[in-house]
Amino acid sequence: MKLRIFICLFPGVLFFCCGMRSADCGLPKSEVQDPKDRISRDAAIKLFTDANEEYLQATKFIASKKTQEADQHLKEAVLQYETILAGGFKNGQIYYNLGNTYYRQGELGKAIVNYQRAKRFMPRNADLDANLRLVKRSTEDREFTTEIPVVIRRIFFWYILLNQDELFIVAVSLYVVVMILFFFSIIRKYAWFKKATIGFSVVLFVIMISLGSKIYREQGVDRGVIIETKCEVRYGPGEEYEPKFEIHNGAECVIEDEKDDWYRVYVNVGIKQTPDSKEGAEEIVRNDVRRGWLQKKHVDVI
Amino acid sequence: MRKCFRLLSLWFGIMVLFACSEKTFAQDIRLTATVDQNILTGNDRLELTLTIHGAQDTQPPSFPGIEGFTLLFGPNISAQTKIINGDISVSKGFTYVLQPVAKGKFTIGPSTVEYKGKVYSSQPVTVEVVDTPRASGRQSPDLEKLVFVDLSTDKSEAYIYEQIVLSFKFYFQKGLPVGDIDYVAPVTKNFMEEKLGDQRQYEEIRDGIIYNVLELRTALFPMMSGELVISPAKLKCNLIIQQRRDRRVTPSDSLFGDAFFDDFFGREQKRYPVERATGSIILKIKSLPEEGKPKEFKGAVGTYNMEVTTKAQQVKVGDPITLSISVYGEGNIQTISEPVLVMGNENEFKLYPAESSIQITNREELIRGRKVFSKVIEPQMTYLKSTPATVFSFFDPRAGQYKTISKEPMPIIVESGEQEVPILLTTSQDKVATAKQQVHIITEDISPIMVNLSSFRNQGNRVYKNPFIITFLSIPAILVAAAFLLNRRKLRLTSDIGYARKRRALVLAKKRLHEAQSALNQNLPEEFYACLSKALSDYLADKLNISFASATEENVGILLRQRGVADDIIKEFSNCLSDFDHRRFSNDGGSFDVMEHALRLAKELVTNMEKQLS
Repeated sequence: MKLRIFICLFPGVLFFCCGMRSADCGLPKSEVQDPKDRISRDAAIKLFTDANEEYLQATKFIASKKTQEADQHLKEAVLQYETILAGGFKNGQIYYNLGNTYYRQGELGKAIVNYQRAKRFMPRNADLDANLRLVKRSTEDREFTTEIPVVIRRIFFWYILLNQDELFIVAVSLYVVVMILFFFSIIRKYAWFKKATIGFSVVLFVIMISLGSKIYREQGVDRGVIIETKCEVRYGPGEEYEPKFEIHNGAECVIEDEKDDWYRVYVNVGIKQTPDSKEGAEEIVRNDVRRGWLQKKHVDVI
Repeated sequence: MRKCFRLLSLWFGIMVLFACSEKTFAQDIRLTATVDQNILTGNDRLELTLTIHGAQDTQPPSFPGIEGFTLLFGPNISAQTKIINGDISVSKGFTYVLQPVAKGKFTIGPSTVEYKGKVYSSQPVTVEVVDTPRASGRQSPDLEKLVFVDLSTDKSEAYIYEQIVLSFKFYFQKGLPVGDIDYVAPVTKNFMEEKLGDQRQYEEIRDGIIYNVLELRTALFPMMSGELVISPAKLKCNLIIQQRRDRRVTPSDSLFGDAFFDDFFGREQKRYPVERATGSIILKIKSLPEEGKPKEFKGAVGTYNMEVTTKAQQVKVGDPITLSISVYGEGNIQTISEPVLVMGNENEFKLYPAESSIQITNREELIRGRKVFSKVIEPQMTYLKSTPATVFSFFDPRAGQYKTISKEPMPIIVESGEQEVPILLTTSQDKVATAKQQVHIITEDISPIMVNLSSFRNQGNRVYKNPFIITFLSIPAILVAAAFLLNRRKLRLTSDIGYARKRRALVLAKKRLHEAQSALNQNLPEEFYACLSKALSDYLADKLNISFASATEENVGILLRQRGVADDIIKEFSNCLSDFDHRRFSNDGGSFDVMEHALRLAKELVTNMEKQLS
């Protein structure tokens, strides 16, 4: 029986490990790179507090219609938030505040990038969700991706509500419990030990699968956001290729490949296949139409 | 006793019947003349029935002039009493069978009957005798004459919102069985519809033939002016015709013409699917005139009246007074708007929206009903002496003009109210629902930044990449694996004796050799050699899982060879055992060096044997 449980758990562990490997391979540069001069927590707190103060000052100037002063303070806030992040100190609050600052500057694409990064650390934050929705509504291109149905969100609540670290802690806790139960079931032959072991093993298996899936989804697949007002998606990686279509600030895409200074992307916005297509024609557009090449400087990887 | 009661009931029933009959007899008397067909050939016969409705105690009506016909026989007299929904009707019929004698159109003259000093006469009936013989063989009924439909309105011209009665009539000859009726109502686009009463069923005489009529009536209210079209109505049904086989008609038919003889001689039932459609109707709908339109007019068209009542006579300032304004009459009751309250000063009364209820009082001929508005008003001034006047304007299509009904103010006494702080103890759920409204978002903006430093830590270092944690994760697994292996070994030691002896053989041998060392140190040769001998023999017995008594030189030699142990070791082992036993029992222990050599030899032997047997 114990052997069987081990065999059952094995794919979960394998999946988790694969997720981790994928995460390492496809991790955004910002997360993989280990800055040489890592910033301490105290220094990060100081910079964070200063940046917040700059932001609040800017908000006051915006309220009093003094745009120039507000812009100056916002730039300062962005600089300080970016300094903390460049120092290897990453926190959901920094990304969230940075997203707010970019939004105030009118940089919708950068705001979305930072909100999406913050979401990885703070998946349950309602303010973050509200801001992200608001910014996405302000973008020019209609988003094509569909939201996860509420029923699915309720059933797989742990997957939606917990971030990677929290899922990992849950998995480790369950692992320890399962091992203790194993240990005692070896020493003492009680029937309920066996049942509890099976139950906890199943839950552990599910959590391991969820964790692996989450790591792969968030870090194994590169996603990007357009940060320029308007950019052309071309048929090939170079200026010599004809433009295919235009997308605008804030549009999200999946990065499938890269060559020199170009990304091959799959865009998540509605596309009209022909100029005289009827309303709703984008829903039946072929997948290859959504693919194209974008200059790296136009895309910020989440 | 019970018999007496039954007789009494019967007598009572008869008395009631007669009483009703007396009532019926007092009704209008009519004389009708009907025929079974109004187009026939010279070979056919015509049944002429003179019916006196409303009385049975009359003389037979006078026989009418029957130019072109001769009387074959008659009259057959029949009396009929019908009780429908408590209404009793009586009639008496006189049926004559006539034979045509010439071709052409003939008019059967009116018949007369005298009853209680009054003379009643029937209408003349026109009958045509043609020479086209009917096809021999099976008769096919003239369906066009048997069944037809009609769609009509009570007026061809009306005002917008005026009530129009649309009537659909389905005629089928009396006695004709009709089934599977499927009615498709006309499309009345641009009209509001209200059903008028239930389906009506009655008889009607057309061209001397009695038809059963089914009538459906609908009240229509045109919603726009211009020429509006009512599309045709359709009706599908099956006629069930009893057809006789081709037999010569004889006077005996009346005798043998009942169902029993018909079935016996061959009478068949045939279903004829019939589909009828009416023509469409075009109505001219006029707009309401602008001339003379009162300012209180809100679109009511019809003939209405109004009543205004209130219960409150003496109130305080701010107390509610409920005015019950009832508008009733004929027209589209549902669309009647609230009458207007005429006030000198708008601040005199506080007005609340009126609640209305509709009651349709008559649906038979026209839509008649009543709409009651419950209007709550609150007097705000103490000088008020009466409620506001109520005014209702409508357009009367019959008169072709606007009419305004005004109800005089009703006297009230308004006292000054105490300034009370309103205490809301309970609130009706309905009122809460109506009072609440959705909040409008003024501006959409992002939420403020986060400044929570307590949870401000570096989240970039993923927990699952921490080497300490990964190391920690392996500890429980190792512990479990160790526990598993130990437990398995423990189980084997308790269950497998051979294994247990084998595992402990070396330990025991070393223990004995240690005892031998002690004996050597104490210079006890006999005990020393006993320990050495026991150490070797017991070691082999444990290793080979044999009893200690069986561990003789010969047995051991055989078993060791089977295990593949080298012969020189076996030989040396045998020699040692023999030597140790000899020295043990012969009191020739030898010197300390000899004994020490023997101990070393025994240790080497055990070590070599362990290597060979493991």
